[in-house]
Amino acid sequence: MSENTNYVELRHVNKHYGDFHASKDINIRIPKGKLVALLGPSGSGKTTILRMIAGLEHPDSGEILIDGKVVNDVPGSERGIGFVFQSYALFRYMTVYDNIAFGLRVKKTPESEIKERVAELMKLIGCEGLEKRYPSQLSGGQRQRVAFARALAPNPQILLLDEPFAAIDAKVRLELRTWLRDMINRIGITSIFVTHDQDEAIEVADEIIVTNLGRVEQVGTPPELYTNPATRFVVNFIGNSIPVKNYDSFRHFEGKGKDSEAILRPEFISIFKKGENVQYSESAEEGVVEDIIFRGTNLEIRVRFHGNLLSATRSINAPNIQVGEIVKVFIHRLFVIDGENVTMKYNQSLREESVII
Amino acid sequence: MELRKNNGPLKWCMITLVVVFLAVFLLLPLVYIVITALSKGIDAYISSITDEYAVKAAWLTIRATFWAVLINTIFGIAAAWCLTKFAFKGKKLISTFIDLPVTVSPIIAGLIYVLTFGRQSFLYPILDGWGVQVIFAVPGIILATIFVTFPFISRELIPVLTAQGTDEEEAAALMGAGTFTIFRKVTLPHIKWALLYGVVLCTARAMGEFGAVSVLSGHLRGKTNTLPLYIELLYQGYDFTGAFAASSILVILAVVVLVLRLWIEHRGQKDLDIDK
Amino acid sequence: MKRIRKRKNIIPGFGLSFGITITILSLIVLIPLCSLIVFTARLSFSEFIYTITRPRILSGYWVSLSTALIAALVNAFMGVIMAWVLVRYDFPGKKFIDGIIELPFALPTAVAGISLTHLTTTNGWVGKFFYETFGIRIAYTRLGITIALIFIGIPFVVRSVQPVLEKIDIQYEEAAMILGADRRTTFWKVIFPELLPALISGFTLAFARGIGEYGSVVFIAGNTPYETEIAPLLIMSELQEFDYAAATSIALVMLAIAFIILSVNAVAQSIVSRRVSGLA
Repeated sequence: MSENTNYVELRHVNKHYGDFHASKDINIRIPKGKLVALLGPSGSGKTTILRMIAGLEHPDSGEILIDGKVVNDVPGSERGIGFVFQSYALFRYMTVYDNIAFGLRVKKTPESEIKERVAELMKLIGCEGLEKRYPSQLSGGQRQRVAFARALAPNPQILLLDEPFAAIDAKVRLELRTWLRDMINRIGITSIFVTHDQDEAIEVADEIIVTNLGRVEQVGTPPELYTNPATRFVVNFIGNSIPVKNYDSFRHFEGKGKDSEAILRPEFISIFKKGENVQYSESAEEGVVEDIIFRGTNLEIRVRFHGNLLSATRSINAPNIQVGEIVKVFIHRLFVIDGENVTMKYNQSLREESVII
Repeated sequence: MELRKNNGPLKWCMITLVVVFLAVFLLLPLVYIVITALSKGIDAYISSITDEYAVKAAWLTIRATFWAVLINTIFGIAAAWCLTKFAFKGKKLISTFIDLPVTVSPIIAGLIYVLTFGRQSFLYPILDGWGVQVIFAVPGIILATIFVTFPFISRELIPVLTAQGTDEEEAAALMGAGTFTIFRKVTLPHIKWALLYGVVLCTARAMGEFGAVSVLSGHLRGKTNTLPLYIELLYQGYDFTGAFAASSILVILAVVVLVLRLWIEHRGQKDLDIDK
Repeated sequence: MKRIRKRKNIIPGFGLSFGITITILSLIVLIPLCSLIVFTARLSFSEFIYTITRPRILSGYWVSLSTALIAALVNAFMGVIMAWVLVRYDFPGKKFIDGIIELPFALPTAVAGISLTHLTTTNGWVGKFFYETFGIRIAYTRLGITIALIFIGIPFVVRSVQPVLEKIDIQYEEAAMILGADRRTTFWKVIFPELLPALISGFTLAFARGIGEYGSVVFIAGNTPYETEIAPLLIMSELQEFDYAAATSIALVMLAIAFIILSVNAVAQSIVSRRVSGLA
């Protein structure tokens, strides 16, 4: 078997909770050794997929394969998975040591081996010396690390994480993201985690599976999703999106008729002062500044442009702009929405000048 | 907390009202039992409580209480586990039936057993054929005691298990732990104080049950008289010292129950810090 | 086979716990209850109506209902005050008071019954005082029954109101004060509505318990027909005469009354909680 085999696979999986169709014909393939994010808004069915892989839920139809074998009837405990719960589900009446040792004790591992393994994991997660503490005596970040170690203790082939950062405050969360990513890369374990936070998915995952309303919308690497969103939902969900109407009235964008819809991103828009001599100034159009918001590292400029309110960023070092000022606006590209289809459209002048760029 | 600091006359009026109310309604009867029991001297007291029939009644009470606590503990744990860890249809109906016995008058509780096992019941000839007599006999007393204390333990466990959720059990099951390992290692530490509290409440109520047991007992002195029934018998025979002496045993047990309750609450509170 | 597999849970022990639950529940509650229904079906309707409308039986219901209602009202009033005192005030002996409130649960009803009776007869400590000073008899009157029912009902309202009162955020009161409300307004408009659901459920539980109570009442009541004969005692005397039909008829009406009371409570709870949660 090569490195690229699909380690976890779901084929035509459906799941209902009563009348609610939680998973609609899910087909996904997760290669060995990859760190994959299931990304979607709450209620999109991402946790259901994770729980079905873990054996915590059972699909109504379809097959779940792990390492090429159908595991629908294999209990979760025999699927070779480690699971990190959203709330961590640390055993509150056991010490950190007993928590991590639990999975090994259930498997009747000799106590000396357990001791070694726990020590190894405690070192890995950087929590040496906390063995005798109870979960309630740990910080949020430590609890997450312990939950991670507990899941890894029995040497699973797959690690599943349900919203691993949801219960942690914002500052520690950023730190833990990098930590988790490094840790998983170091161990090289196939991992799937659920999140509703696109930044988290983009930063941590090798590959993202975007879910919405029980369906898989798109699967791809973070740059792929960003540059080539496949559906209306993905283009809206990933990145900052600014919906615009009647983009055909924009200069250098060929019209598609009335009521045309498109999505812009702040980074697709350049704003500069009249007379400021920059690239594309020839092809830019005028807009009126309605609001300027200080964002710490840069400024967010809100501009009325062809009846649409756009927001773009501008460097703090660039020449000062006032509210009410008429400025030049240049749109580099946009995503044209046509029903469910999304296509990228570039500013025509950019094509002509591309040689110069 | 400035707002809630009220040291006006209203505070002391209310405290006085409460103290007087409780002193008259709760303490006075309690103290009265002890005083009356000892009114004819300590020797009379001791001979009253060591009376052959008193001891037999106490023994029957202990037996009935033991069975009620045992059955209700098994039931309470099973029902609480089943109702809080799994989703299935008919949950609400089951919990309604579990709570039913405490809302029914004890006399009616006795009545339904009389109807089930009495002479007019179709079960009677079958049980009679086996030589089993239920009503007006010890089995009836035990059944009635189980019935009136039926939800006492499950009712203490269910809220604790609901609040705890199912994550820890799921985590343990995913690691391959079996039913009893999960229960002993993961669930039991969460519910141990609630369970103990339920057992204490169940014991207290089981020892003191009067109405339902009275219906089902044959009132045979030394055979089917529990302690409360024995007290009734003495009281109606105008043996007040004897009645109050026997009562004092139950009073002591009630006080023990209250102290235990406070202790369990205190210990449980300590564990709540872990249970965060 | 397939169906069973689909309902499989990751947490083990469903079959075992469900089996134990249903078996014991059936043996202790469901089968006896069924026999009540079976027996009821055999009663003739005219006989049933005749039994329950006998004046002696009707007066029994009236005695039980009226005394239980008065006792429950007294307990509702005192219960709120006791909960308030225990939650909001600090004073010596508070722990002790908190501890003995459960006494009526722990003390056997018959023991409470004989003690209260002996205290309140015209020769008893309390009874003598009331009889000689005011000419009031307590034991063997409806007043005595009410007192016994107050005794057994004490914990219900306190224990349901107390936790709610503990949880009320002081910010509500502070907000009311800052908006200019005085203590009385704050209590009635801000705190009392929060307590109301717990108060209603404590009250109905005490009321329902009072109607069915036997042990503590039977001694103090004196059991004079038409005067101090309670409904549970009527069932008891029919049973002693082996008239199971009459006993069952009386019991059915009592069960119906208990059912109505508990339903009223459920409706009241849903109205109050709907108002608070804003769900239509």
